[in-house]
Amino acid sequence: MELDAAQNPNPDPPISAYYQTRAEHHAVVSSDWLAHAAAAAASFPDAGAGADAAPPPSPGSNGGGVIEEFNFWRRKPEAAEAVAAIMALAAVIRSSRATTMMELEIELKKASDKLKSWDATSISLSAACDLFMRFVTRTSHLEHEKFDAAKSRLIERGEKFGEISLKARKTIAMLSQDFISDGCTMLVHGYSRVVLEILKLAASNRKLFRVLCTEGRPDRTGLRMSNELAALGIPVKVLIDSAVAYSMDEVDMVFVGADGVVESGGIINMMGTYQIALVANSMNKPVYVAAESYKFARLYPLDQKDMTPAHRPIDFGVPIPAGVEVETSARDYTPPQYLTLLLTDLGVLTPSVVSDELIQLYL
Amino acid sequence: MPDVQPLVSEFVLKLKRRKVEGSHAVARQTAELLRSVVSQHRMGSTNQAAALADAIRSVGEQLISANPIELAVGNIVRRVLHIIKEEDISSTAVGIEGLSVTVDSDDEYDSGNDDHPTLSAAVLASHARNALRAPSLQTLLDDIPVSTALSRSASSTGDSDGKTAGDKSLKTRKLKHDVIAAIGDLIEEIDTCYDQISEQAVELIHQNEVILTLGRSRTVKEFLYAAKEKKRSFRVFVAEGSPRYQGHVLAKELVEKGVQTTVITDSAIFAMISRVNMVIVGAHAIMANGGVIAPVGMNMVALAAQKHAVPFVVVAGSHKLCPLYPHNPEVLLNELKSPSDLLDFGEFSNCMNFSTQDGTPLLNVVNPTFDYVPPKLVSLFVTDTGGHSPSYMYRLISEYYSADDLVVQRKSTS
Repeated sequence: MELDAAQNPNPDPPISAYYQTRAEHHAVVSSDWLAHAAAAAASFPDAGAGADAAPPPSPGSNGGGVIEEFNFWRRKPEAAEAVAAIMALAAVIRSSRATTMMELEIELKKASDKLKSWDATSISLSAACDLFMRFVTRTSHLEHEKFDAAKSRLIERGEKFGEISLKARKTIAMLSQDFISDGCTMLVHGYSRVVLEILKLAASNRKLFRVLCTEGRPDRTGLRMSNELAALGIPVKVLIDSAVAYSMDEVDMVFVGADGVVESGGIINMMGTYQIALVANSMNKPVYVAAESYKFARLYPLDQKDMTPAHRPIDFGVPIPAGVEVETSARDYTPPQYLTLLLTDLGVLTPSVVSDELIQLYL
Repeated sequence: MPDVQPLVSEFVLKLKRRKVEGSHAVARQTAELLRSVVSQHRMGSTNQAAALADAIRSVGEQLISANPIELAVGNIVRRVLHIIKEEDISSTAVGIEGLSVTVDSDDEYDSGNDDHPTLSAAVLASHARNALRAPSLQTLLDDIPVSTALSRSASSTGDSDGKTAGDKSLKTRKLKHDVIAAIGDLIEEIDTCYDQISEQAVELIHQNEVILTLGRSRTVKEFLYAAKEKKRSFRVFVAEGSPRYQGHVLAKELVEKGVQTTVITDSAIFAMISRVNMVIVGAHAIMANGGVIAPVGMNMVALAAQKHAVPFVVVAGSHKLCPLYPHNPEVLLNELKSPSDLLDFGEFSNCMNFSTQDGTPLLNVVNPTFDYVPPKLVSLFVTDTGGHSPSYMYRLISEYYSADDLVVQRKSTS
């Protein structure tokens, strides 16, 4: 799918590129896709490089190049959005012709702003950009050494971020193991790579548990999740989104991922998460959120409409009459009082810790 | 350490047989035991802190497994490990910073760091300080393995200044001395926790208040005494706290101090709660999410208090603060005591003989010791550091404990 390099591909109606990409990566699969994916996963490092074109030429001082670089990394289904962003910024540093830290910071700021405005709906993108910018500023103040050494250190740390992200997922999986006991039933919503990692580790530790998986309309990413879980040998039951309250009493705990964790400790996640959290709360079931720490963002939504709107086209299967409106928002905000614990690579946190972490980083 | 082993074994036996009970006594004795372990530990010349921590861990492992329900043991062990780390890093960081001031260009630095980009002393010092704190967003992208960096620079400082063996042993003794002094502070903190908590009684208890408590907690008793000293007029409802009926003892003690007291059964709590201004109770342990492990019956009190919007205040010393998360506390953090507390053997011995086809007796008696109160039911924690909300517990935990000490296990000796 060819994307216009410098502009968001679907400016009118405003479709969120972030959710578009997620749908491409994780939406409904057929059984032969699954077989194909299994074969590809066995040789993932090669398959990934072979399938995509060679990386775009170095951006040079051309600002548009950072978007190309970002899109290149974003295509890889295993890599997190934040990783793609930081790789792109690292590439900017590598090709930069600045001779002082100040110049480099200004270039990076421009590239980072460009990335953020290209897709204003992706929270992990902007959070990762901010995190990297803070890292750069801190590094430049701390080290009184040669510019080249500092530059190479920044590039190295940026490129290592993919490893950090994978390590973060593994840390979260390890921390979560104690929460899964034998014979428990858990509910998951949509497709989250972190939650999948948790369940993979639990299955490999021979824990006996059952998973109820929601369908996750409109992308139906939940079906993909159930395929993956079935492949691991975990008993799975698929529910339509409306069946959550009906099944909630047989559930012991709810596990969700997050697209972003906001300052209040609440999360922004795929549409339907808020609903599930409300039902779980009213029935006294714990809701655990698995999110990497770089998804913490300096946002403070006060209600559902307080975020940048992110829309996804919804296919109902039948044409909708002309005068009828459709709610196409792809995500919702779950306030912190409905969440029990956040499982992150910084440890197991209560929602109140998030603002503390952000303050330490930014102030 | 052959000298210390008999002491350790004796304490382990006491814990196993539940001869020593109550968080305060357990915490104090654990701290004293660990202080002896530290003072009798023979310090090596390199990597002293790690070896010392390892010794503490091996003793700690034995103590914790002797009575896993007594969380105060694990708390103190982890506090001591954190103390060791703190003392080690603060003394080394001071050393590095001092070095960067006195020495301008250092050949040792460049020759030692071929494979690593040259790092200035300021970076190392700041990383040393960061290593002490829990992992955070700030340090997410950093990569310096602090221990190797510190040891490399420490050894290079040793060479460049030409320190003699005498100086090295001075440094050894200093670490041990600092750790022992810090453990002494910890013991004092445990001893004075009642006074520190009681100081806050005046702000919490006002005139003409009606207070409800369950069972007998020494911390609550001191708290109420202190309020009485300051001439606050209040009445206390004491729920007797079956099956041990310690509430009766507390009622007697309060009456001796001139406090108007009413004794009620546990079942009457819900009926009386609407006439109460505040519930003040003690705890066995406070978990990392702000949940409370308390004597059995406490969850019921907390639910009743929530229903009638009565503030539920938990008073506890900081040695009860545990960095673990309760996964299944009703089962895993509980202990079933003898049924003789509930039923008299003489009367009921004939019931024990009747059995079903597979041999299990028809009459079962369950006597759990503890109850779990979830954090959302607690209004306030009063500890020796002040009053905090349940969502603040994580801060205290990150101050007192290190993240990698959650599982106390002896690391493999290298």
